Amino acid sequence: MKILKTVVIITALSASLWNCTERIELELDSTYVRMVVEGSVTTDTMAHWVRLSVTSDYFYNQSAPAVTGAEVLIDDGDKIHVLMESDTLPGWYLTSPDYHGVPGRTYTLNIRNVDINQDGAMEEYNATSRMNPVNPIDSIQLEYFNTFFTGYQVRVWAWDSPDPDWYVFKVWKNAVLITDTLYELIVQDDQFFNGNYTYGIPSQFLSDDKPEEVVNVGDTITFEINGITEDYYNYIIEAQSQVFPQTPLFSGPPANIRSNIDNDAIGFFAAYSVNYSSTIATEDIVGGGKQ
Amino acid sequence: MRIPLVLTLYLLLSIFPLFADTEDETGPRYTISGYIKDASTGEELIGAAIMVQELNRGTVTNVYGFYSLSLPPGFYHLRISYVGYEMYEMAVNLNENLTQNIELKEDIQELEEVTIHAEGKQAHIRKAEMSVNKLPIKSIRRIPTLMGEVDVIKAIQLLPGVQASSEGASGFSVRGGNPDQNLILLDEATVYNASHLMGFFSVFNNDAIKDVKLYKGDIPADYGGRLSSLLDVRMKEGNLKKFSGSGGIGTVSSRLTLEGPIIKDKTSFLVAGRRTYADIFLLFAKDPDIRDNTLYFYDLNLKLNHIFNDKNRLFLSGYLGRDVYANPFAKMAFGNQTYSLRWNHLFSTRIFSNFSVIHSRYDYELGTPEGDANAFRWRSKMKDYSVKADLNFFITPEHTLKFGLISTFHDFEPGNAMGLGEQSLFTEFILPSNYAVENGVYVSAEQSFGERWNLRYGLRLSMFHNVGPGTIYNYDDDYIAIDSTVYGKADFYNTFVGLEPRAAVSFMINDVSSIKSSYSRTRQYVHLAQNSTAGTPLDVWFPSTPNVNPQISDQVALGYFRNLFNNRLEVSVETYYKKMSNAIDFKDHANLLLNRYMEGELRMGEATSYGLEILLRKNDGKLNGWISYTYSKTTREVAEINNGNPYAAPYDRPHDIAIVGNYEISRRIWVSANWVYSTGLPVTFPTGRFEYMGNIAPVYSNRNAYRMPDYHRLDLSVSFGSKPKPDRKWHWDLNFSVYNAYGRKNAWAINFVQDENDPNITYAEMTYLFPIIPALTWNFRF
Repeated sequence: MKILKTVVIITALSASLWNCTERIELELDSTYVRMVVEGSVTTDTMAHWVRLSVTSDYFYNQSAPAVTGAEVLIDDGDKIHVLMESDTLPGWYLTSPDYHGVPGRTYTLNIRNVDINQDGAMEEYNATSRMNPVNPIDSIQLEYFNTFFTGYQVRVWAWDSPDPDWYVFKVWKNAVLITDTLYELIVQDDQFFNGNYTYGIPSQFLSDDKPEEVVNVGDTITFEINGITEDYYNYIIEAQSQVFPQTPLFSGPPANIRSNIDNDAIGFFAAYSVNYSSTIATEDIVGGGKQ
Repeated sequence: MRIPLVLTLYLLLSIFPLFADTEDETGPRYTISGYIKDASTGEELIGAAIMVQELNRGTVTNVYGFYSLSLPPGFYHLRISYVGYEMYEMAVNLNENLTQNIELKEDIQELEEVTIHAEGKQAHIRKAEMSVNKLPIKSIRRIPTLMGEVDVIKAIQLLPGVQASSEGASGFSVRGGNPDQNLILLDEATVYNASHLMGFFSVFNNDAIKDVKLYKGDIPADYGGRLSSLLDVRMKEGNLKKFSGSGGIGTVSSRLTLEGPIIKDKTSFLVAGRRTYADIFLLFAKDPDIRDNTLYFYDLNLKLNHIFNDKNRLFLSGYLGRDVYANPFAKMAFGNQTYSLRWNHLFSTRIFSNFSVIHSRYDYELGTPEGDANAFRWRSKMKDYSVKADLNFFITPEHTLKFGLISTFHDFEPGNAMGLGEQSLFTEFILPSNYAVENGVYVSAEQSFGERWNLRYGLRLSMFHNVGPGTIYNYDDDYIAIDSTVYGKADFYNTFVGLEPRAAVSFMINDVSSIKSSYSRTRQYVHLAQNSTAGTPLDVWFPSTPNVNPQISDQVALGYFRNLFNNRLEVSVETYYKKMSNAIDFKDHANLLLNRYMEGELRMGEATSYGLEILLRKNDGKLNGWISYTYSKTTREVAEINNGNPYAAPYDRPHDIAIVGNYEISRRIWVSANWVYSTGLPVTFPTGRFEYMGNIAPVYSNRNAYRMPDYHRLDLSVSFGSKPKPDRKWHWDLNFSVYNAYGRKNAWAINFVQDENDPNITYAEMTYLFPIIPALTWNFRF
């Protein structure tokens, strides 16, 4: 929720007058291994993927072990699509490149032929997600920003639909996704502005501190909006709250992140609609027009 | 209701003879009564002891400094004593009712440790009152503190059974309870949020405070509405004798208090103000964005006091405080206001009464400036309006009775947010207000039997009504709101009624030692929606409703009290066991702000706490202070949390030690130190991890399965004062203090961080707030 984020910024600022951080050594226990699923189906036509991995000890410090040799299927209510395991990326399973989802349909992911708990018996995992529609964007603008951080905010003009909506906002630079981690996603529900026009609300950010986000004259900046389900929205909110630093002032007790996969698995299988709007960074925008 | 009828009858029977004022079953009695005051300021002394030598009986003054003793006719020697004051002796020939106001002089001989006023010091041994700590404001002032700001709440956190909710926080946990289970009263008015600046400072300006008393379990029947404790803070009345002032210039704030008579010995006033100037330092910040920030808080205490005659006096008290943070993009402000008007009236020399009208409120607002698409304003507030009547009946020195009632109207406005300006995206979002009436009726008595037994017993009947207009959402078994019920104006649509018995007994083993035991039941009808440990200013208080049962606590305690070395050293050992039902916790990832269905985020269960508390205390002499040790254990069990298994409560700190010392090197130089140690707070850590969208996310242990590193800290201070001379009008002292003197890095938070260079690597990182923090404060009084 944006309102709360503002509060956190102000108060973090007042607390930052004092606080300091330091790396410490801790002994943590282990827990049993669980299946982890990350995957999505969108309205874009492309090879959609599902990544299967397993949990590890917290200080494992290597890439998550992949789950290979699984049978992965997506049922869109009309047809069952079989996903093929990638030759180059172990644990990644892909649809055919001409595949796309249809808003309003419900997608079911089915995973078989895996034995995560290594008891000799094969397990099966399922998840379903409905694909919600998303409104088109009228236009976006890039605006230079130089307080607290230096960079750009992406202002967005669009109508929010009269139905309840849950959004993810992403940003691309020259066809490269900038917001490629959970950290950088901005999620928003419309309970405080349902059915309203957005009037150029700042919806994503590019920071000059990160080399891949530095904007030069002529760069194409694309804003991506996703229409997601309430469940996926809550998943991202929960996941972000556990991945972002927590403080005794604002954070509740740490808690496990929800999942829509059954059989004690972790992660999320999401279906969502996608729309885009682009702008080109011109001289009067880059660096606030001073360059 | 049958019980109130029985109560009324009992009261009428025991009270009626008091109006007659002369005789009872033991023969004729006469009363000596009056106020005990400080000779230089006219301030009433709370808890001063009056001892009748011939009878080895006595009494202590009540919270208004009033005493009353009804004795058979005769010639008596009275001894009046109060810690830090010279003892006063007088002889009376009691053959008629006498009004005797007594003024005590401050004890300037204190350093030599010659005056031993045993009676005053033995009063706490005799009294059937336990789990109570009183801190003289004078000793609170000598405790070294963060940034040199003398703080009542930081001082009580050094007592056994009391712990800070988090480093530097004004929130505190009493015997394992939550911070919202403490009733904090300032001149009888509830203070809902006692913190400034994220809790690092409390709302109490010590220059305006006269007396602080903390009840940790055996809460008298006069008070109710909170489960764990009562912190009773009384403001000064204002000097009745002469115009005087006090103040200070400190590292973060300045204070000024002015007080004096408007009509000598009849009407007095007090005005006390404090303001921080952290924002002045911001002007020197390197970062221009920080320079534009506003960051301050202020407090204003006001008091007016008028004595009409020996039988009637009036007190008007007010407190206003506010915190403001602002930068060019956002603003946040919050604060308390409390007002109370009290009228003391003597119906007779044996019947003291107080009638109060009280208002308190807490509100906050945050928002962004108008003109942009995301401009908004968010406000929340709560208001209380109360009327209260308390009667004290001084039947005999062996028997006193109290009776009273209170009625409070609560108005909760949990939040409304709206866009600002035409270009704002946001629609108005209003959470419906809640209204409730909370009533309490009590009767309690103190009785002595023979030389050794003292008994205090009472009964409080509390009633809580939800009053329309109101909207109650109905929830299914999964806590999902299915529909709502709307109630009309003045509709008393839901009622809770409960009895709260309180009892304590003491047995004097000899003149200097006693055993005490107590039982108390408390009920709480308003609760705080807060699941972070340190707490934020964004408090949402909510009432019990058909969805939220009142919290109930039953507590038993047993203690041994002893004075050693000719009453110079007080020792107490107490054990307690407390069980709380309908204890409130919250579901995982609870959303408590601007949430229409906030009640659906609550999960209720049972909490249990037990502990052992040891206190060694030396109140006067060159070296004074205390050592406190607490061992305690607090667990919760809630069906939907931690798979229904018990878990350590958020404020469970098994071992807790505080050593507080003050030493007067000379009349002009004194040094103070305190050292605290406590087990780290319980915490949930990851036991596994998984990858999702480029980040590493945690898989957690059971709730609170780990502990933060142990907490310990040493604070020091040295003060240098003006030369004490009897005719000196202007006194000052300069105080230099160091918080966290040996620079312990106490973990405030522990986070798990993904390495920037290698995203596969995660490590633990602790955040600590305070390095060594020196501060200089200059105090004065005239």
